[in-house]
Amino acid sequence: MPIHEKSLIREENIRTRDDLVIDGVDVSGHWSTFIESRVVTDYNEDLEDQIAGLPGGENIHRCWQCGSCTNSCTVNALNADFNPRYWIYLIRTGMESELLRDKDIIWQCVSCNKCTYVCPREVAPEGVMKATAHWLELMGHTPKSPSTLFDEVFSEQVIKRGKIEESGIIRGFFKKTGQPLMQNWLTTMAFRLFKKLPFGMMFHMAKSTIFRPKTKGWRKSQLAIEDYIIEQDTKHRKLLGLDKPTSPTPQASNDNATSTLVEAAE
Amino acid sequence: MTKPVLIVGGGPAGLAAAHALATVGQKAVLVEKTEILGGAPIHSGYAKLVPSGQWAKDAIGGMVSRVEKNEHVDVRTNAIVKSFSGDPGNFSAELSDGTTVDAGAAILTTGFTHFDSVNKPEWGFGTFEDVVTTTQVEQMISSGQGVKCPSDGRKPKRVAILLCVGSRDRQIGREWCSKICCTVSANMAMEIREELPDCHVYIYYMDIRTFGLYETDYYWKSQEEFKVKYIKARIAEVTSDGDKLIVKGEDTLVKRPITIPFDMVVHAIGMDPNVDNMTISAVFGVDLHKQGFIARQDSYGVMGATSRPGVFVAGSAIAPETIDDSIAQANAAAMSAIASMNSQSAVAAE
Ligand SMILES: Cc1cc2nc3c(=O)[nH]c(=O)nc-3n(C[C@H](O)[C@H](O)[C@H](O)COP(=O)(O)OP(=O)(O)OC[C@H]3O[C@@H](n4cnc5c(N)ncnc54)[C@H](O)[C@@H]3O)c2cc1C
Ligand code: SF4
Ligand code: SF4
Ligand code: SF4
Repeated sequence: MPIHEKSLIREENIRTRDDLVIDGVDVSGHWSTFIESRVVTDYNEDLEDQIAGLPGGENIHRCWQCGSCTNSCTVNALNADFNPRYWIYLIRTGMESELLRDKDIIWQCVSCNKCTYVCPREVAPEGVMKATAHWLELMGHTPKSPSTLFDEVFSEQVIKRGKIEESGIIRGFFKKTGQPLMQNWLTTMAFRLFKKLPFGMMFHMAKSTIFRPKTKGWRKSQLAIEDYIIEQDTKHRKLLGLDKPTSPTPQASNDNATSTLVEAAE
Repeated sequence: MTKPVLIVGGGPAGLAAAHALATVGQKAVLVEKTEILGGAPIHSGYAKLVPSGQWAKDAIGGMVSRVEKNEHVDVRTNAIVKSFSGDPGNFSAELSDGTTVDAGAAILTTGFTHFDSVNKPEWGFGTFEDVVTTTQVEQMISSGQGVKCPSDGRKPKRVAILLCVGSRDRQIGREWCSKICCTVSANMAMEIREELPDCHVYIYYMDIRTFGLYETDYYWKSQEEFKVKYIKARIAEVTSDGDKLIVKGEDTLVKRPITIPFDMVVHAIGMDPNVDNMTISAVFGVDLHKQGFIARQDSYGVMGATSRPGVFVAGSAIAPETIDDSIAQANAAAMSAIASMNSQSAVAAE
């Protein structure tokens, strides 16, 4: 009999025993081939609550699986395996292992928000993708994505000084992602800037790079922002059952809340 | 306008027809088979009604007392119509209690019969105590005892509501949609979540038919405010592992078989044609729809007309119907009855 749903059989679910004798009959090798069951035997209600508790995931429970998000998705057009509708379903029913199979593509969402504009139930699927990527990182399933790393360097500067200084961000980002500082496009850009930029502006830029000025009276804001970040991070980690906060603020070097505050108060 | 109108069936439709006639001074005789008026919502002890949110015993109970107190309505409980003869304006009905009623017209508001879940044995009703029907859960709520597993009285942690039980199923000869059970189930799911916030409620559906405003007031609300979960699957069977009920089926959205444990399984039972319809059809000489409901002759002209002139029909006797639509149809049928008697007296006066 032909197998109609061949597409559902996965390589890793095919089991063969090299050494198997049943009732005196040798069924080793392909004689003992079987396919692991795909039966879903329970729902894990926690998974939806966890994603819903992370920023962006709040409205996941509204989804009625119409597929509009997937149909409109920029990334889906390039990779049919990128399927927000499907992931939302897996999360809602708690099919965690199934979700983890796609952990290396979920973060590829480009935040174009086409899905958000088309979703009839205002689930904000883009937010759900963000929350899911965040969840994957927090749970240690995936390393931090390049965009997360960029965000970290960026917010680190803003939090510290109330200002950003581009060259610092680029250097920090390259360091975190292990990229060399000298890259063709970058040196070309720097060279052209050097040639065309008015002297006053160049002087200003150089000064900022060296002295890294702070916004006036920033200390108060810095403390408030850091408090908030710690509070949110602690909340998220508690929700996910992770006890020890790893990086309470984007300043990855601090490993607990107090040291951040101490440093901030310096 | 001397002869009364004969109304058969004292549910929401019959009560509405009697009240409508009485308000214009037309006498009516209301014949009800059982001991008490009120129809399904009272006989089966429904809890809070869709869409008013009122308790059935208050809302429909109010309709009952309004009719019982009305001098224009002659209520005959514990009675059915044995024979019916005559012509429009001049009918004669013989009741099972031996009395005879002369009537100018008749309105059939004989309603529906609840689907008996025993006829779908694969879904475990009658085999496992904790497989119940929507009417049973309505009674748990309306009686104040609360939602509990019948087997041992424990509060369920996980409830599955199976939609379309006894509807939309050619295997058992039922090709209709019972129209109200999606909404009733969404409402019930919210009531369960309200009473037992730790209990997860799953609704297994083929389609969700919460028509009109019920979409936002029940379907969306149950999902958005009460976190009721909807799974697209028609369940294959309900079994037990000795401890929990096991619901088996295919989750169609992920093309995967499911065998999920539940504490309680609720059948969203449908609305069958009244089991008496063959008799009613023979006694009153009215045609039935091929599915066994009383056939309507006219959708846009004479409201509630049956195949027999002077005999009208309203409510869930025609098809699965909501209470408010049954009431609206009953008012329309009352108007048709009066019009038919007036035209007969006009003929007689010529
Ligand atoms: C579980 C469930 C929940 C529901 N909840 C709601 C809700 O919340 N809101 C809503 O709008 N609708 C609800 N409905 C639908 C509602 O029950 C019907 O719309 C309503 O009962 C129809 O009224 P009726 O008068 O046409 O028929 P019925 O209520 O069936 O009344 C018919 C009456 O006729 C009598 N009778 C029957 N045969 C004879 C005979 N041969 N001679 C004399 N008398 C006879 C019966 O005893 C009964 O009193 C629900 C239905 C179900 C199954
Ligand atoms: S925001 Fe992400 S999920 Fe949404 S359409 Fe764009 S790429 Fe797809
Ligand atoms: S568009 Fe919205 S409702 Fe539709 S599948 Fe996507 S998230 Fe769900
Ligand atoms: S109203 Fe819903 S549950 Fe009832 S028969 Fe129709 S589709 Fe099925």
